[in-house]
Amino acid sequence: MRNLYQRLGLTPDASDLEISEAIERCDHNALKTDARTVLNVASRREAYDALHATLSDIGRLRARLGLTHAPYWRDGPADDFSLPADTRGSRHDEWMQRLSATARWHNRWQRLRGPWLATGLWLLGVAAGALLCWSLGAD
Amino acid sequence: MTTARFSSFELLLLQSRHQADTAALLLLAWVLVNHGPLDESQRARLTDLTGSFRHGHDLEPILRIATTQDLNAIQLAAEVLQKEVHGLLAHPFLQMAIALSVDKDQPSTANQHVLRFLADLLGVSPLEFTRLFERQTGKALGQPPDPSRTAYWQAKEHHRGQREKQEHSRREEHHRERRQRREQGTRQGSPTGHERTRRALAVLGLEPGVSRAEIRMAYRRLAQAHHPDRFFHAGDAVVASASQRFQRIRRAYDFLMKVS
Repeated sequence: MRNLYQRLGLTPDASDLEISEAIERCDHNALKTDARTVLNVASRREAYDALHATLSDIGRLRARLGLTHAPYWRDGPADDFSLPADTRGSRHDEWMQRLSATARWHNRWQRLRGPWLATGLWLLGVAAGALLCWSLGAD
Repeated sequence: MTTARFSSFELLLLQSRHQADTAALLLLAWVLVNHGPLDESQRARLTDLTGSFRHGHDLEPILRIATTQDLNAIQLAAEVLQKEVHGLLAHPFLQMAIALSVDKDQPSTANQHVLRFLADLLGVSPLEFTRLFERQTGKALGQPPDPSRTAYWQAKEHHRGQREKQEHSRREEHHRERRQRREQGTRQGSPTGHERTRRALAVLGLEPGVSRAEIRMAYRRLAQAHHPDRFFHAGDAVVASASQRFQRIRRAYDFLMKVS
């Protein structure tokens, strides 16, 4: 499938007016006819947009997973829907990084005897508050 | 330290008794969502099909994630599954995906692309995948329909009309398609310089307006990833396809160096 929006220089959320203007400006006759047939009829545009979204998602996934040159994509919608590889990289590595960071924090907390420390600080705060109240009351 | 929260799918993976099965389940649910609205019979089919899975958690959260089409979750699932199954080992999973995508007729257009993505992900070649599809459904895997063309909509709307009209339209459409193909052929035969640059940049995964240094870096990265020598252990067919890819990257790079 071709990316009509890209070929007309539009974004997928373009209004009907913008689309008609872009079609007028376009100087490729076959593309003009197809764009009129597909994008000027609401029901057709809706179906086209749904598939457009799916293909864009797949294009993004393929870019992130290094599959932009795999056989089924190369011979199909690759030209229109391949996106530049972004810097997101592997989700799995990032997940593992977060998990190990969490484990590190957990261990640090346990080593400092975190629960006792927190309870102690809380009791100290309560005692200081009570002392303050008492001293204010005594004045 | 990164501060992002753990998503519901990541937590589910941690709970799972078998992560690859949880990942496979999410991808199958994705296929199901792309097939059409989810109803009871669809859920029952998924449950039946995945009876032998060992994930040990509920199906409901998976379906919820799939319905939102959360791209990050799907990417994570794809990575987990890719680590676990590849090539021949992936056939059972792909068979399930095919079975879920086909009801009575061909898979939906979205699923045509999803299935092809899954085949590429798991290293199953088009030839193998076509055979797998035929064995599973008894039908050939057709080319995905193209709703960006006038011919598609004419065909679709004529199908609703009378049979006689249908025959007529098919002839007409055939002519139009041939004419279109001829037009397209002439167009693709001599792409303008600008169009060619854009295409060459797309091959390297770049956007227009990048510098020479960036082009060189992208080329080095891709050339390393797709160099045929890396695939020598995977057999001649894989080496051949890698060298085709490599050539294509090489040609795009040479062209860009010449024009920029």
